[in-house]
Amino acid sequence: MKIILWVLALGLWSMVVLAEGDRYQLQVDGLACPFCAYGIEKKLSHLEGVEQVTTDVANGRVTVQMTGGGILEEVQAKRAVQAAGFTLRSFIREETGE
Amino acid sequence: MNQTIFRMAMVLMTVLWSWQTRAAPVTFNTALPVAEGEFIHRELLVVMRSGDDPSGMNRDMAVSTLVSVLGYGISGKLALFGALPYADKKLALTMNAMPLERSSDGFGDLSLFGRYTLFQRDAPGQTFRIAVFAGTEAPTSDDHENDNLGRLPPPLQSGSGAWDGFGGVVATWQILDYQLDGQIAYRNNGKANGFEAGDQWRLDGSLQYRLWPGTLAADTRGFLYGVLEANLIHNDPNRSNGEKDENSGGTTLFLAPGLQYVTRRWIVEAVVQLPVSQNLRGTALENDYVVRSGFRWNF
Repeated sequence: MKIILWVLALGLWSMVVLAEGDRYQLQVDGLACPFCAYGIEKKLSHLEGVEQVTTDVANGRVTVQMTGGGILEEVQAKRAVQAAGFTLRSFIREETGE
Repeated sequence: MNQTIFRMAMVLMTVLWSWQTRAAPVTFNTALPVAEGEFIHRELLVVMRSGDDPSGMNRDMAVSTLVSVLGYGISGKLALFGALPYADKKLALTMNAMPLERSSDGFGDLSLFGRYTLFQRDAPGQTFRIAVFAGTEAPTSDDHENDNLGRLPPPLQSGSGAWDGFGGVVATWQILDYQLDGQIAYRNNGKANGFEAGDQWRLDGSLQYRLWPGTLAADTRGFLYGVLEANLIHNDPNRSNGEKDENSGGTTLFLAPGLQYVTRRWIVEAVVQLPVSQNLRGTALENDYVVRSGFRWNF
């Protein structure tokens, strides 16, 4: 019985983890205060498939978490960062799901 | 009494013209951006007192103004702003040993202006930008108010009745530890009801230094800045019915220490503008102080 419960729990955990979308790390130049960060977060949040955007002002890093199956193209990210008034330095995809 | 009041108009314009800001400096503009398609709302309470009267008339001018500003980002480089003040103005003085008080309150003239980023150089944790701005103040408010002594003089009117134009250049250098802003601006005042306020030149500088937190972390959500600003403001003499008022205009240097707390969504701020040098023409009523406090928020 215990084994079955463990298998079920593992299966449930796997489903949650596997459903999580990709994560992207954006390095943004020109970002030097919290108030400016909000504009970037809003522009990126409006993109389709984006689940969460968090900004690390200290390191100029913006993390974009996608929903399952969501894909962020670099050109989209660059456009959103430019629209907020800043410059995209680098764009890295971190695979967390699939 | 009208000459005295004309001179006060210069002070009022100085006080009210600094609403055109987004983030950063409290008393003037910045070159930092408003994100495309996003809004910024600012409320600024300006309390001004001028009571150092060399004329012996015991003049005392007090003006409290709430300025509402809405900014909208057309693109990452172009932003439009609208500003509408609501002012409560009181002038107390003594004439023939009789104390008098004249006052008014109401919405002032609406200002509309745009700002465009001409130059932008971004690097990790820092940015340098130069922007130009230009706009107009439209005669949207009442400029024919009366009290029991008759028609109120121009500075006590809610509106000027004239179209005014203004413009300038602002530069911003921001890094994680501090921010520097500098601005040069000019304002051309129009004529209405026989009165034309003198044009204005101003040169402004601002330092915002991060006091807290001392060390930044990935989860830092807010900065507390110590603020020190300087405003060098020159006003040309006013003209009344075509005649230059030799007792109006002059040059004032303000220093403005203050604090500003900045988060992702909002900013709260307060400074006190203290006149450290006033070279005014004639017997102009000098400024005592100007207090500016308010908030801004992204939405």
